[in-house]
Amino acid sequence: MTDWRQERTARDARIARAGPHADGKVVPAAKAVDLLEAILQPGDRVCLEGDNQKQADCLARALSACDPARVHDLHMVQSGIVLPEHLDVFEQGIARRLDYSYSGPQGARIAKMLYGGQIELGAVHTYLELFARYFIDLTPNVALIAGVSADRDGNLYTGPNTEDTPTVVEATAFKNGVVVAQVNAIVDKVPRVDIPGDRIDFVVEADRPFYVEPLFTRDPAAVTETQILMAMMAIKGIYAEYGIRRLNHGIGFGTAAIELLLPTYAERLGLKGRIATHWALNPHPSLIPAIESGWVKQIHCFGSEVGMDRYIRARPDVFFTGSDGSLRSNRAFCQTAGLYACDLFIGSTLQIDLQGHSSTVTTNRVAGFGGAPNMGSDPHGRRHPSDTWMKAGREAGGEGDPALRRGRKLVVQLVETFGDKLVPAFVEKLDALELARKLKLELAPVMIYADDVTHIVTEEGIANLLLCRTLDEREQAIRGVAGYTEVGRGRDKAMVERLRQRGIIRRPEDLGIEPLDADRSLLAAKSIKDLVHWSGGLYEPPAKFRNW
Amino acid sequence: MALKPVTFSADPGDQSWYEASARARLAGLLDAESFQEFIGPEQRMMSPHLPLFDLPRAFDDGMIVGRGRLDGQAVLAAAQEGRFMGGAFGEIHGAKLVGLLRAALAEAPAALLILFDTGGVRLQEANAGETAIAEVMRAIAQVRAAGIPVIGLIGGRAGCYGGGGLIAGTCSRLVVSESGRISVSGPEVIETNKGAEEFDSRDRALVWRTMGGKHRRLLGGADAFVGDTIGAFRDAALTQIAKAPAFDLATLEAEQARLEARLARFGDCHDATEVWGRLGVNDPDAVPGMTTEAFDALLARLPEAPHDAR
Repeated sequence: MTDWRQERTARDARIARAGPHADGKVVPAAKAVDLLEAILQPGDRVCLEGDNQKQADCLARALSACDPARVHDLHMVQSGIVLPEHLDVFEQGIARRLDYSYSGPQGARIAKMLYGGQIELGAVHTYLELFARYFIDLTPNVALIAGVSADRDGNLYTGPNTEDTPTVVEATAFKNGVVVAQVNAIVDKVPRVDIPGDRIDFVVEADRPFYVEPLFTRDPAAVTETQILMAMMAIKGIYAEYGIRRLNHGIGFGTAAIELLLPTYAERLGLKGRIATHWALNPHPSLIPAIESGWVKQIHCFGSEVGMDRYIRARPDVFFTGSDGSLRSNRAFCQTAGLYACDLFIGSTLQIDLQGHSSTVTTNRVAGFGGAPNMGSDPHGRRHPSDTWMKAGREAGGEGDPALRRGRKLVVQLVETFGDKLVPAFVEKLDALELARKLKLELAPVMIYADDVTHIVTEEGIANLLLCRTLDEREQAIRGVAGYTEVGRGRDKAMVERLRQRGIIRRPEDLGIEPLDADRSLLAAKSIKDLVHWSGGLYEPPAKFRNW
Repeated sequence: MALKPVTFSADPGDQSWYEASARARLAGLLDAESFQEFIGPEQRMMSPHLPLFDLPRAFDDGMIVGRGRLDGQAVLAAAQEGRFMGGAFGEIHGAKLVGLLRAALAEAPAALLILFDTGGVRLQEANAGETAIAEVMRAIAQVRAAGIPVIGLIGGRAGCYGGGGLIAGTCSRLVVSESGRISVSGPEVIETNKGAEEFDSRDRALVWRTMGGKHRRLLGGADAFVGDTIGAFRDAALTQIAKAPAFDLATLEAEQARLEARLARFGDCHDATEVWGRLGVNDPDAVPGMTTEAFDALLARLPEAPHDAR
């Protein structure tokens, strides 16, 4: 007779093996290694929670301290490769295979280990794609997650950084997996229940609070006049032009400049209430002046941001908050919102090629892409119209009955022609192709595909790729805003001038913008301290961003 | 979408001092169009040393000197450009300031203003720079002895460090904003020599509460605290010119006594907040977050706030 409960039986055995190390569900930090060695089996699929913000760092340290003779050949399926321990486990032989989405600070080391064959790479996913696979073919056997507090029954309070936790737990707990949560404190009663206790098998009281990276804080003091000029062009030439109300901003100083110009430049243009009202966005401190000036109706967040907790609690009309008053974020829902319910994504990149493909991967750095590939894609499953979406769809052209033509999501790349250390942002060929060749990858790691990009904004102007009708036009439109890079200097001047006459390329003067007006005095806040003052003292920036 | 026409405000008084260039500070500080530069950039008086290190030079060597008017009064003024080599003192940079101070003895202006923005001596021409610091301090003593107030204005990106901090100590009066920092050894220098336990240079809040404008004002190291606009610095400069003390034995003895008393009273404090507590500040932790208005109100309540520093 078929045994239909093999997985359940295996799970019960794991729990039983771990039992001696726990008091009920509670495990002291000192026993975390014993706990993991008891639960884990060679070849397990493991989700070690950590994305671009919060990290289950206590459990990461415990996993990397496990005995490779007992715990080996794990298949890690996790959002972020961020902590050194995330890669240490591959060096030690504890883990072998990797499927992930994002790697920021570990980008250079991950590249070396991929070249050295220490990591067997599945794929670099978008968040939503990896989450989707948790429910189909990458379901974790064990999830190691992080929360702020738990009671002795395992009821978990994630705090404002809920992020991936509900998704990871859903996939693991309901498919015979084991869930271990590290928490900063065991309490009698949690402020709110983010994850019900019957989905949590063990709670480890961590030796120190879990780490959160303040990834979304941009110091207004570092915003340059070039970035301000580009922000003015984006506001006037795209936000106003398409009437963009629902949007997502990527990380970067360019988008921070846009946020800081809303209450000043955009307000003087008379755009308040007409653009940028509904957001899928982390709580960016640089959005505080726009919120305080009444620009923003509501924001749903992927995660939280260090120092923003008190401010968010005081603005429940704007943010999604729980009965306890603190933010409730959710990466899976917010990524879905950004995909289907936003009309614009705007972000930056390191390299754009002649067709418009872009990537942040270079030959010696394999950064994953975070939310950009998902936000920066045109969802073919969308069925609701909006003026913005329909206008972009009309610009893209097409044939047949207009009622049968879909709209287009606006996907905007905001890049200076020369990036950090004067490296050109426009290239003939993406480094990602060379990396794919060396690693024998079937797919080159592209952040945003050319057919999803609608506009490129540089300090030289805006290229509207929707209006291009041939590949040649598209290439010249890109060259036409690529400034003094090799790609820019290789332009066909006569053709670029014709594209400008058709409005495919628009220079600052075509938009009625005087570049000399792009001055830092336009920024609603010029420093982190100004942001604190805008927030009425509610924003509490981390020490490294203070200069007072 | 119909857009409104946009106009841009151009009142130099509203500009941020911290953000402005040295030339923009001078232009906004002095009466409109009154500044006449000596040895301007067109004369190309540049560092003779920097080419040895393959480093770029500036036509004015990061120091702008000249004469102008402040509310109608004749003044001499010097401004350091903190964005060129951190406003550091090199041979030409220093010589221009020494020359200006010596010119003051002949011109007898109502005051001499120094707009500090410096990390100290330029390491590539350290001997010339150190000499310049000494010459500047000697010249300031002579100018003050001749009855001409020397007013230091501090609120730039580079702060006022190293030899600049020493020179500031010899001025008649100092005006500082919150972002202005005054010290001799900078945070990184202290950390390198004494360790992060002594001074963690990455703890930015610690840096500012130890060296920043609010602490310097509370401790009597600076005589006026202003908001970060060129207009606020202009108003404070005018007020402080009128208040500058005589440079005589009585002033120096009073200053010596004040410094001895300060050391005795605060010498065992481990953090600026302890100093502030002893000064009678009720909630020292709230001081760094205060706006200029709230900080002014705090100063008005403190019995010792109007220090006559020199």
